[in-house]
Amino acid sequence: MTTLATPVGPSPLRRVGALAAAETRLLARNRTAVVNSVLMPLLLVGFVAVVGGDGLLGADLLVAAAGFTLVFLTYYNLVTTYVARREDLVLQRLRTGELSDGQVLLATAVPTLLVTAVQIGLVAAGVAVLGRWTAPVDPVLPVLAVLLGATVMVLLATASTVFTRTPESAQITTLPVVMGATALSGLFFPLNVLPEELATVARLLPLTPVIELAQLGVDGRTWDGEVVAGAGLWWAALGPLGTLLAWTAIAALATARWFRWSPRR
Amino acid sequence: MHPSVASAPPSPAESPRPTPPASAPPAVEVADLRRRYGDFEAVRGVSFEVRPGEVFALLGVNGAGKTSALEVLEGLAPVSGGSVRVLGADPRRERAVVRPHLGVLLQVSGLPGDLTVAETVRTWAGTLTAPRPVDEALAQVDLTGRADVRVRSLSGGERRRLDLALALLGRPRVLVLDEPTTGLDPESRRTVWRLVRDLVDDGAAVVLTTHHLEEAEELADRIAVMRAGRIVLAGTREEIAETQPATIRFTLDDGVPQPPVPAGVHVVSAGPRVEWHTRALQPALARLLAWAAAYGVVLRGLQARSASLEQAFLAVADAE
Repeated sequence: MTTLATPVGPSPLRRVGALAAAETRLLARNRTAVVNSVLMPLLLVGFVAVVGGDGLLGADLLVAAAGFTLVFLTYYNLVTTYVARREDLVLQRLRTGELSDGQVLLATAVPTLLVTAVQIGLVAAGVAVLGRWTAPVDPVLPVLAVLLGATVMVLLATASTVFTRTPESAQITTLPVVMGATALSGLFFPLNVLPEELATVARLLPLTPVIELAQLGVDGRTWDGEVVAGAGLWWAALGPLGTLLAWTAIAALATARWFRWSPRR
Repeated sequence: MHPSVASAPPSPAESPRPTPPASAPPAVEVADLRRRYGDFEAVRGVSFEVRPGEVFALLGVNGAGKTSALEVLEGLAPVSGGSVRVLGADPRRERAVVRPHLGVLLQVSGLPGDLTVAETVRTWAGTLTAPRPVDEALAQVDLTGRADVRVRSLSGGERRRLDLALALLGRPRVLVLDEPTTGLDPESRRTVWRLVRDLVDDGAAVVLTTHHLEEAEELADRIAVMRAGRIVLAGTREEIAETQPATIRFTLDDGVPQPPVPAGVHVVSAGPRVEWHTRALQPALARLLAWAAAYGVVLRGLQARSASLEQAFLAVADAE
């Protein structure tokens, strides 16, 4: 029996919030990071709008922007952030306090997640301002897609720190996810132009289900180009939902098994 | 209106360190701790206990396994064998229960460079259950004047003191300090020693590692010397020193005869530079001085030293 009488103290949310606030303050003090965070969405959206041509309007542009942001910003930023904190010995310091391992990782991710939300929000606002907004068929699915997508990206980032030695080497170690996930995600071209086997593989990559779910919610279109509605919509959503949950589990397990809190001695 | 009650009589100016009651349960219990990295066993069966109000120092050269043992106490690493209990709970499995009462200072750690000292302490306090006020925390480590300085502009010693302030911020009952005064100037070192003593007087249990012998001598109630993953010597300062003999050294002038060797003295080197080892320092010294007085011999550079912790430590380091 322990003789410990532990007062309750602040809620987990407030504790994580304290660290998250400090991390956000640090981001705001890092001028390069702030500039990148603001410029990136504008550049990406411009790029997508040009490359996508006339086909990409309104809500489709928003879906594309969300996809790009999740990979190029959320995933990439988090890998460099976690690795930098690890190499600076900050992660191991944070781990000696009262925050749990998961809470430390979450708090560290908050600034990037905030910027992600702001960027997607800015694009949404831009779309509305341009008068290209169309009401989504099912508003829940796109939101769910982004939330789950962000979760997968955070966990893929923590898992990626395992084979990333320095923040600089992240430029290389993140290439598999960044290139692989976006190329066949349905962002650049619809997946139904691919042979069936390749399309199936493409649908299992981490970003594709995000695009799929968002597309379903926006105009009820599946990856196949079919239009569904009502129950058919949710039926079609099961596949991508399952894929995202599977990626969450895989990345979480990899992190739990191999994540390092301190640099290799 | 009731008159206010007179306060309690003032405490004596210098009260001796209170001894914790022998029946107080140990704050830290380590039993046959083993820790393995792959093939390499860094800690090979270490056992010790620390009671509230006690300082336990773990000495040893780098690589002896001190930090590896401490990481288990801190709840950062699993045991490969044996058990560790802090305040009766497993520091790793019951981390949420132990951490509010545990203060940890790692051997090396980093803090984000772009926060000020005060912001760092405030952030840390925001994650704790019952932190002391920020001003108090800064005052404890003499960083009040540097509160608005960014961490990247602090000196190494100031950074270490900030680290210590964070370890103490939650008013811990158990402190694990891994080389707390490394890199500190002598004055800061003394500040830290005074701080640790104050905390211990308030009932905290402290486990610290160091390779500064004077730190162990100054702070520790009990000391253990580790080598290659095992504790090879343990006890109070006096007990450990007693495992080594006392030393008598002097130099004889030319032509002076050798003194007779008293009983119980081992001659390490005979004239002209004489070194004797003995476990009966006073009688041996008395006989030597009596002989020197009787024959009018001058014992040049006479030194008589009781066994020291340093001797014991060096003997451990040399053996093998």
